[in-house]
Formats: sequence, C-alpha cells, structure tokens
Amino acid sequence: MFEPPIQRLVDELARLPGIGRKSAQRLAFHLLNTEEADALRLADAIVEMRRSVRLCSRCFNVTADEECAICRDPRRDPSILCVVERAQDIPVIERTGTFSGRYHVLGGAMNPIAGIGVEELRMRELVGRVETEHVAEVIVATNPTLEGDTTAMYISRLLKPAGVRVTRLASGLPVGGDLDYADEVTLGRALDGRKEL
Amino acid sequence: MALRSDQGIVLRSFPFGEADKVVILLSPNRGKLRTVAKGVRKTKSRFGGRLEPLTLVDLVLYEGRNLDTITQVSVIEAHPRLRTDLDAVLAAGTMVEFVDLVAQEDEPARRLFLLLRRGLETLEAGPVHPDVVTAFLVKAADAVGLTPSLVACAGCGTPGSFRRFSFAEGGVLCESCRTPGAYLLREGLVEYLAALADADLGNLPDADPSLSGEARGVARRFVEYHLERRLGSMAVADA
Ligand SMILES: [Zn+2]
Ligand SMILES: [Zn+2]
Repeated sequence: MFEPPIQRLVDELARLPGIGRKSAQRLAFHLLNTEEADALRLADAIVEMRRSVRLCSRCFNVTADEECAICRDPRRDPSILCVVERAQDIPVIERTGTFSGRYHVLGGAMNPIAGIGVEELRMRELVGRVETEHVAEVIVATNPTLEGDTTAMYISRLLKPAGVRVTRLASGLPVGGDLDYADEVTLGRALDGRKEL
Repeated sequence: MALRSDQGIVLRSFPFGEADKVVILLSPNRGKLRTVAKGVRKTKSRFGGRLEPLTLVDLVLYEGRNLDTITQVSVIEAHPRLRTDLDAVLAAGTMVEFVDLVAQEDEPARRLFLLLRRGLETLEAGPVHPDVVTAFLVKAADAVGLTPSLVACAGCGTPGSFRRFSFAEGGVLCESCRTPGAYLLREGLVEYLAALADADLGNLPDADPSLSGEARGVARRFVEYHLERRLGSMAVADA
C-alpha cells in the first residue's frame, strides 16, 4: 500500500488493458518523478479527448465534429460502404490506401454464444444508410472469427432485399509469411478464396 | 510439471493479457477445461485458427497451478461448412451455450461431449433441421439429469399421455396431480417432444411446422427454468 493519492493512481492505471500491478506502479512513480507540467499535460490530454470526441452522426467513427473527416470528404465515394466492428479498425484500413468509400461502425460483432445479437449493434442504421445514401456495394470487414463471420452472414441476409452487392474481405495467408507456418484452417480458407491468375 | 494429452471441443475464448487467450473447451474425460493459449493473438501464431469455437481438437497440455497451457493443438474437425451457414451457426451457438452452462471442471462429461460432437457433425452435414436445437436441448438436459417427464405423470409416475405440462414439476401431470400453473399444451406436442428425445440428432423425424415452434419454446423454457439462466443465444436466434 502507498499513500492514498498514489495508490489511487496505481489502481486506475492497473485497470487499463495490458497493464499489470507492477507496470501500474512503475508508471505512477514515473509520473510522480517527472516534471509537473509533463504530468499535467497528460491529464489534460485525457480530459480533452473525453470531452471533445464523440461519434460521427453518419458512420459512428470517432470525431470532434458532427460528422467525421471521412464522411465530410467530397472525394470519398458514398456508393461503397465498408462495415467494421470498431472505430479503431478504420485507420487500419485507411493505411492500405486502397479504399475510397465510406465506413459504417457496427460497435461489435454478433456472438450467439454470449447472447450478443443485432439489437446491440448498429444494424438498423446500416439498413437506413443503404436505402438513403444510394449504396451499391457493402464490404463487410469484420474479423475472420466465428463472431465476425456470423455478423457478415447476417448482414448479407439482411441486405438481400435491398438488392445491394455484399462482399466480404478475403481471408488468407499473411504476406511475407511461410506457407508451412500457416495453420490448416487459415490455409483452407485461403484455398477457398483463391483467385484466377 | 506434467504434460498430458486430451481432446476437446472449443466452446469459447477470450483475450488474456497482451497476446494470449483463455480457451474454454469441453473434454469427454475432464469436463470443462480452462486453458491458456500463449501468443495466439499475434498473426504469426499457428494456433489461432485451430482454437476457434466449434473446433474439435487434440491437445497437449502443460499442467499449471490454475490454468493448463496448450503446447500443441491439432484439428480433428473444424466444421468449415457449418461456419458458412447462419442458421447452423446460430443452432451451434445454443448447443455450445448450454454445454458451457452445465459442464463442470474435473468431472467427466462423456455423454455431453458425444452429444455436442454429434450435433456439430449434423449441422456440418446440413441442411439445418428445424428441430435440431429442440432435440439437442431435451437430450442434453437428460444427459445432466434434467430429464423432462413426458410419458408418465411427473407427480405420481402414472404412465400415460397427458397434456398438462408443469415447468416446476419437470414434466406432464395427470388430472389428479395437476397444479394451477400447469400449461395445457397443443394436442400431440408431448408425443412430438418425446419422439425428439428418443431420436438420433442426425436422423430426426420429419418436422411438423404446426408443432415445431411450440416444441422449441417448451424445451427452451424447461431448460431456462431449471438452470435459472436465460439462453442468450436463443434470444439472438429468435429475434
Ligand atoms: Zn463518419
Ligand atoms: Zn399424477
């Protein structure tokens, strides 16, 4: 046990993902021994981020404005929607530089085993957007897990009546990897998704 | 500090620490297994795809104080077709959820294991029979000692076909045993459930659309009543 103010910070830090007791103590003492201005800047950044960031009213990406930068960008093609589980998946896809449409953040994936269904996700909003934004193609970029696959199948069924094209990210082998390092499940899916040369 | 081999069906997993996962499996020999798979959330791991839910695997485990660590995994059956069929995944979800609720650690679960394996095998073969979840629930409840009384009165044991069903009493009730809360079930429903309880999951009798939905509802409520838990997966599937 430390003095109450230090202990309080250690407890808060230890609640962060990937931070154990030991790391929390190390960080707390680092913040104690650093320049006061540096520590306050960190505190201020957290407060500022929490106060100003909200969800884009169109795609539910994080933004400081009513709509996010991607939705406001006139060069983005509104007829292609990329559906992701979480807002933090957007920068990952943006970094590829190969997608020029807009996004839709579901807020998670269906998990029938844990009882996470469609009410917990932004499915109704997705259907609404497909209808009002004249979307021609929906690319489902959920994770290649049972939950992500289930969500993708549900979206495909849900959007069938709307007549929109629904595609799924191919899953396969990591670029630069060794074939004999892949597990048979991944390799099987790569075979299923093979392309004509 | 011992290594041992086992077999199991992956029920679910969740992230643990930076790159690990806790993987929950059902083993015929030891019931529910709580294991750690180290480093599987990194893309370089060759374990990742093998430990997805619904996969039947052979394992080599390193016995730890709290959780056993998986040192080797090989896939016996990954059920690849099942994963591409939404109705099959939802049905499998209920099977797995039920097993996860009732299985205990360090307690052999041979019947439950065989039933789950048969259920997944049946869903893999497809198409999904409308009563497969109902049959699974009634049979799996029986495997853990929650047998609904369908061909004899749950109160006095008198054999016969009765239509009053009590969730609290655990089955049908005769006229002299009937309680005020007992439901009058649709004609033929009790026999329908009894036939499902006796059938092999891979070879169920033809579904009757006029009874199928109510049979599912009765099986679900029966299980939920006695486990005192809701089956979230069925709420997802029925939404
Ligand atoms: Zn947006
Ligand atoms: Zn009786």
